[in-house]
This record gives sequence, structure tokens and C-alpha cells, in this order.
Amino acid sequence: MARIQFESVRKQYPNGYTALENLNLEIADKEFLVLLGPSGCGKSTTLNMIAGLEDVTDGNLRFDTEVMNTVPPHKRDVAMVFQSYALYPHKTVYDNIAFGLKMRKFAKAEIDRRVRDAARRLEIEPLLERRPDQLSGGQRQRVALGRAMVRQPQVFLMDEPLSNLDAALRISMRAEIKQLHQAMQTTFVYVTHDQAEALTLADRIVVMRGGVVQQIGSPDAIYERPSNMFVASFLGNPPINFLKGRLGQTPSGLVFRNGSTALTLPPQAAQKLAFYDGREVVLGIRAEDVAEEGGAAGDACLSGRILSVLPVGSDQFLELEVAEAKLFFRVGKECRYREGEQARLAINLNRLHVFDPDTTDNLLWA
Amino acid sequence: MNKLIPGQRALLFIGSLLFSLYVLAPIGWLVSSSLQSEAEITSVPPHWVPEAPTAQNFRAIFQATDEKVTYETRKQGDTATGGFIPSTAANLLPSMKNSFIVALAVVVLNLLVSVPAAYALAKIRFIGRTTSIYFMLSTRVIPDIALVVPFFLFVQKLGLMDNLLSLVITYLAITVPFSVFILTGYFESLPDELDKAARVDGCSRLQTLVLVFLPLALPSLVAVVLFTFLTSWNEFLLALMFTQTPASQTMPIVVASFTSDFNISFSFINAAGVLAIVPPVLIAIVFERYIVSGLTAGAVKG
Amino acid sequence: MKTPDGATLAADEAPFSPAGAAPARQPRRAWLRPPSSAYDQRSAMLFLAPMIAVLMAVAVFPVLYSFWLSLFDLKLTRPHRVPFVWFDNYLKVFQDPLFWESVLRSVNFTVMSVLAIMVIATLMALLLNQEFRGRRVLSAILLIPWAIPYVANGLMWKWIYDSGYGALNGLLLQLGFIDKYLVMLGDTDKTLGLITNAFVWKEVPLATILLLVTLKSVRPDLYSAAKVDGANVWQRFLHITLPSLVPGFALVVIYEAMMAIRHFDLFFVLTEGGPADASHVVAWQVYVETFRKLAFGTGAALAYIMALATFVLAWFVIRATSRKL
Repeated sequence: MARIQFESVRKQYPNGYTALENLNLEIADKEFLVLLGPSGCGKSTTLNMIAGLEDVTDGNLRFDTEVMNTVPPHKRDVAMVFQSYALYPHKTVYDNIAFGLKMRKFAKAEIDRRVRDAARRLEIEPLLERRPDQLSGGQRQRVALGRAMVRQPQVFLMDEPLSNLDAALRISMRAEIKQLHQAMQTTFVYVTHDQAEALTLADRIVVMRGGVVQQIGSPDAIYERPSNMFVASFLGNPPINFLKGRLGQTPSGLVFRNGSTALTLPPQAAQKLAFYDGREVVLGIRAEDVAEEGGAAGDACLSGRILSVLPVGSDQFLELEVAEAKLFFRVGKECRYREGEQARLAINLNRLHVFDPDTTDNLLWA
Repeated sequence: MNKLIPGQRALLFIGSLLFSLYVLAPIGWLVSSSLQSEAEITSVPPHWVPEAPTAQNFRAIFQATDEKVTYETRKQGDTATGGFIPSTAANLLPSMKNSFIVALAVVVLNLLVSVPAAYALAKIRFIGRTTSIYFMLSTRVIPDIALVVPFFLFVQKLGLMDNLLSLVITYLAITVPFSVFILTGYFESLPDELDKAARVDGCSRLQTLVLVFLPLALPSLVAVVLFTFLTSWNEFLLALMFTQTPASQTMPIVVASFTSDFNISFSFINAAGVLAIVPPVLIAIVFERYIVSGLTAGAVKG
Repeated sequence: MKTPDGATLAADEAPFSPAGAAPARQPRRAWLRPPSSAYDQRSAMLFLAPMIAVLMAVAVFPVLYSFWLSLFDLKLTRPHRVPFVWFDNYLKVFQDPLFWESVLRSVNFTVMSVLAIMVIATLMALLLNQEFRGRRVLSAILLIPWAIPYVANGLMWKWIYDSGYGALNGLLLQLGFIDKYLVMLGDTDKTLGLITNAFVWKEVPLATILLLVTLKSVRPDLYSAAKVDGANVWQRFLHITLPSLVPGFALVVIYEAMMAIRHFDLFFVLTEGGPADASHVVAWQVYVETFRKLAFGTGAALAYIMALATFVLAWFVIRATSRKL
């Protein structure tokens, strides 16, 4: 069916700017793949290449085994949903949805069947005779989905389709898109800069930055075992805390030191990091991997001055100043902390990440 | 700057009045003169409003082909001034027909040439895009005068003299750059993602243009049609060169020929003038909104 | 697959949003326009082909051909002998005192026209810039001079200027400015001025609309800021309105100057270059050389000189225009 392969694909513009550097990616049939990264990382470019809206400078793009480099978009079997929905303003909702089928010369009866079927599924049947400017944002998004759905394409492409919706709608639409994927049993390629979205929807995530793939893996893998500092910081809210320091071998084990802070690393980690004895490293601590001090050993705690306490509904964010670095942690509402106080937080040492300060690679999960 | 204070209101009113007068007075005088007989028109000081309005001038134009111009009918006007209706009066209406045919042909061809070009310039990124834009703009810089000599020789050689076709092609060159300019600006204002959606939906570039962009570009298309029509209708110099015989002359040529003949009745000339300006004036008044938006679109983008 | 991206990430570079909201919408990179695929390139070429063909044939080629012609002593009165004379035609033109006189007249005409147009059009634009009932009506009326052909314009004014029965004479007489009819177009002192008036009358609408656009492009929030800063109406005009208007203003000036230099129609209808060469401008000279004297070589040279002068002027316009393309 639809296996998409990028073989050493490079994308360079005439002015010299390289959007994608040596992309090697294989998208499995029926999977939900998310391209995640900040603006300018090349995720939209990659999506556009699958659609045929941008061409390949170097390398090959294959659908199954067929090389698609020179095939124009209207000859490919892909459907696309855009950030701005891109509905045809002069057509009714019905005609908008039916347009792709009309272009591909489907029989009128078949078109009608598919359009009404999709409209029913998306609950937009009463809107079929309206025009886009009479619809709300959420309704337009459904029409855009419908337009792509009826094509029953090999690949479903989505370019930040939820960015223009308000927060509540975004959450509910995510669930719908996930359901759509289950129902359609087709390959979905989804572009977003929102890490929460990626974590919710994806079977696999491709994290990109500056035209280079940082890591490919399941949401769990990417979150739990980020391959470098960028990936670690991009996923997770609030972002992971980084603390520079030096590793030193002591009788009690490998210790991370930064000023007055000293943390003893667990044995499995110490094993992998033995080579780094005496060298500078960067420690990565996720905001949620802390707890109140409650009897934890001194070498498993961070202490510092509380700079601010921000309540956020069910939790609190704690801004802790540790050795001149400002770290953010998430603690439960019941914890009582006050600004200006000194505090000690227990760290879950088993969930620490250690990075090489120069290559930014994750030393524990290489 | 939008609140109206009483003093401002009066100022606006006076200003509007003055400017309306500035524009309408000469035209009003033209119309008034066309309705006066030769005797009345030669009064000193002039009768601002015709005291004895007559339609004889217009009649002369419309019936010129029926009435034979003889020595007697020539002296219809005041014998003192010797003004008379020229035998070439018969040419005015046919020349307007010629003008109309040419203008229509130019509009159609212009659209056929400009619309695809504008779409390509606006939505397709291709090698040579900037060059094409500069090329197109620079052709409009050439004054018509510079085209006179080579055109004349060429048209003669090709035997297209007195052929309306030569006018049509020439006018195309004059009107296409401006049309492309306006249309490109408008197409650019339409979202890129619409273009992408259409192409992914299965449209070739041509289908995208015709099925998606054209319907959305109606306002600017109207503006282009208007400008092209008016430019063709009004053009004088090139028509002067290419049309020697009355059969092929366009309206401006015939009108100009009236003015250069000192023996023609003044009231008749004015009547001819009125007829000549009726189509453009109607267009201006009816399509004011499109014209202004077309001009401003050009100005805003440029 | 993982690749090092070679950059070190400091703690403060990480994005942070305490409320958990997504980062602000990413700005679109306008310059990130892709080149086309081969299909796109083909389509673009096809779509542009008619336009390029038309322009090549009817604009580019004639210009080149006319330059070629200007290097010959081509007289249609003597069509069989056409010697190649290099730049002789140009030299003859430049050495002809009549040519320079006509240049002076063209310049005279242009300067007078542009001044009058700018003054009137600015006032009109200021008026139309206000919101008031009937503005659309005024706008439609304003378009009339723009829409009518120049020959009709010429015809109209010729009658108004008529020395024997014209409206201008009649008006002046009735208002008591004169006690008998004056010679108008026939009076060499008045000729150019009267033609200018006719030209200005027809050009004002377009200039007004262009200036109106410029006026409207002044950002209203600048006015608000100035008001808060304590500027009065005059100061706001001086420091905000005026500077924002200058580029649009300049564009209109250059455009109208271009139109004035190459204008022909009115000169044909009103005075045919007379009387006694009072309105014999360069554009008229081209016509005379080409169609009256049938000296095509000289005519071409003259046309070329005019074209070059206009081109230089237009170069400024293109520079200002292309910044926004």
C-alpha cells in the first residue's frame, strides 16, 4: 500500500539555503507519523515533498518502490489538510468536499455517496449547502478533513491543522483525528510544533531541527530516552532543566557536582559514565521528577532558594535557584513553599539524563 | 481625521461643489453646444443654456448615411459663418463600430494573454520569474512615439495597413503589461494554500487557474476589462498611423478630422464629441468602484 | 537514526511557557519560496509564452528595429537610396536649434502641467479622503475626464478656446475681465498654457486617485501616538502626514512627467504644433519628421532620443516600484 521512503534526500533552494540535510526516513504503511520541531526545521518541507508541492534536490522519494521525484501533486494519491484549511471560498461545503473526487473523474453517484458519508461522520451534514465564510473555525476544519477523507488516499498529510483553533477545540479535535486514523487505516503524516500534540497523536515521532533529524522513535522513547539536549528540551512542559557540573568518582559512587550541589548517580548510570570521570557534563532533570524532601538522602537532593511559586490549577510550579541556574519544577498543590525560602527537593535519580556539553548527546541512551 | 465638525462640513461642501464644477462645466458646455443650432451657437456672448435646443446635429450624424450631402444641405447652418455638416459625418458611426470591434477584440485577447501570465508570476516559483517581471514593466516605459516608425514600416510590409488587426495587436502590447501588473497583484493576495489545496485535490496548473483562481479574481478581471477597453477606445496616435481609409478608421481619428476642418459647423463638432464620450463616461460612472479599486491595487502594489 | 547537530544548548535557551500554552505562531519565512519542479517550470513557461511573444513582437522588436532605422538616412520620398549614416541623424537633431527649442517647449509644458496637476490633485485627494455622503458620486464624476479620449478632450477645449465664439471668451466678457473677444490658441503667448490646462484637466483624476491611495496608506496609529504626545493638527500634518506622503507623491510626479513629455494627441487636435511653432514640442516633431516630411531615419532618431529620456525617468519609477515586488 503506502510505504514512504526518503533516501538521502536533500532540499536546497536556489539562494543556497538548505532546508533538509540528508534525510533518511521510512514511513510504514498505516502508521501515524508526526514531524515535530520548531519553525524552520524542515518539517513542512518534508510534508510538502510527500505531497509533491516541493521537489527533491538530491536523493529519492519513493512510494512503495516507485520513485516519485518528478510526479506532480495532482498525479499523486495524497490528501492534505492545511493550517488555514484552504477551503474554496466560492464553493459550497458540498462542492468543497467533492472537488477532489470530481477532478479525479469519479461517478456522480459515488461522489455523492462518499461526500454524505464523510459529512455524517464529521457531523457537518446540515452545513453542506453553506459557504466557508458562513462557518466557524472548527466547522471549517471539519470540512477540510472531509475533503481529504473522501479521497480515501494512500497518504493523509496534515500541516499544523489545529494551530488556528482555540485550546479547548484543539484538544477535542486531536481525539477526533486519532479516531479518524483508526477508522481509515491509512498512513498519516502530521506536522506540528506542539510537543503535547505530538505525544498524544503519534505512533512515531520524528524530531527535527535545522533540516536535520534529531531522533525518530515512539513518543515514549523520545520522552524517556531523548537522544540529545534539544530533543530532551523540546518535549515536556515545563521543559527539562539543565544543570552544568562535573562528574567525580568517589568511594560512594560517581558524583555530580556543581558548587554546593552534589548528586550521587545510580550504579547503572555510573557504569555508562565511567569514562566521563573528571569531566564536565550537563544534567537533565525533568520538572516532574522531584518530590518533597521527606527523608531523602542529602546526595539525592537539590537545594536552593525559591524564587517564585506559581499555582497552576492542580499543581504548582516552583522556581528554584540552584547554583546560579534557575530551575523549574512541578510539585503538588499540597506542598507549602514560600518565596525567598531555602528549600530542598528530592530528585528521582533513576530518571536523570546526562548529556555531553559539547556534542549534546545523551550519554545514558546513546 | 474622520469626525466632521460644522466648519469642516461647510468646507467639504464648497470643495465638492468647486471640484464638481471644474469637472462638469466643460462637459456641460459640450453637451449644451451640441444641442444648439449654428445660429445660436455663434452668439456673442454665448448662450450657456440653449434657448432653442435642437437635435439637428445628432440627426445629421445618425442619418448621415441616408441623406445625401449636396450643396444645398451643406449650407444648413448659418450662412454667415458658412459652417456646414461635412460629408464625412457619415463616418462617425461606422468608426465607432470599428472602435468597438477593436476594443472588444483587444479585451478578449488581453485576457487570454494576461491571465495565465499573471497566475504564473504570482503563484509559480520558477527560474526567470524576476526577469520576466522586469521585462514586462520595462516594455511599458517605451513611449508610443518610439513604436511609430518601425510599426508603420512593418505594417506596410505585411500588408496590414487599414486592417483593424494591426491595431488589435498593437493595442495588445500597450495594455498587456498593465493588465498583468494588476492581475498579478490580485492573485498574489489570494492565499498560497488555496493553490496547494487545489493541486493536491487533483488540479493541473491550468485547472487550478481556471477552476479556483479565476472565479475568485472577478473584481480585478472587471478592472482589467475596463482599462483595456478604455485604452483601446481612446487610443489615437497609432490608429492615426495605421488607418488611412475611412472604412478602417476608429472613432478618435474621425473626431480629430472634424476638428481640423475649419469649415465644419461648430455645433456639429460638439455633437460628435458628445457621442464620442458617451461610452467612456457611462463606463466611468457605472463601474467607478472597480476602476478605483483597480487603480489603487496597482498603486498599492507599486 | 541520530545525528549530532553540533550545538550546545544552554538552560535558558529552552522554550518555557508556564501556562502550558503553545509557543506563539511561527512567522512565515517569505523568502523561503521554492523553485519549481520540472512540471512547474514547464507550466510557467507555457503560461508566460503568449505574453512574452506579444511583448517581444510588439514592444521589444520595434524598439530594436527603430534604433536600427535611426542609423540610416531613410526618406520615404526617396525610398531607393538608403545610405547607412551611423549616428548622423542624431547629430543632425542635436545640431538643429529647432530641436532644442522644441525641447524647451516640452520641458515648459511638462513643468507647468505637473505643477498644476499636483496642486489640484492634492487638494482633491485631501477632500476625498474625508468620509462624507456623496463621496462616491464625486468620485464617479471625477473619473469622467480620465475616461474620455484625448481627442474628445481636445475637441471640447478647442471649442471653449475658440477665438470667435468660445466659452472662455464669453465668460471673461460676461465677468467683465475683457471688453472684446481675445485670440486664444492663436496667441503664441497663451498657446502652451491653454494646452496645459486641457491636459491637466484630463490628468487630474488619475493623479487624485493615486494620491488618495498614498494618503490612505498613512498609518492611523501614528496619528494617535502623536495626539497623545501633544501634537496639534498642524504639527501632525508636518511631521507625520508629509513625510509619509513623499514617496507616493514622488511617484505621481514622475508618472505625470512621463505622460506629459510623450503626450501627442492634444497637440494634434488643438494646434498642430502651431501657431508659429508655439506648441511645437518634441513629440510633435517626431510626427512631423515621420509623417509630414517622411524622413523616417530622422523620425526614428528623434523617437529614440525621446524614448531614452523617458526611460531614464522611468528607471526611477521602476526602482521605487520593484521594492515591493
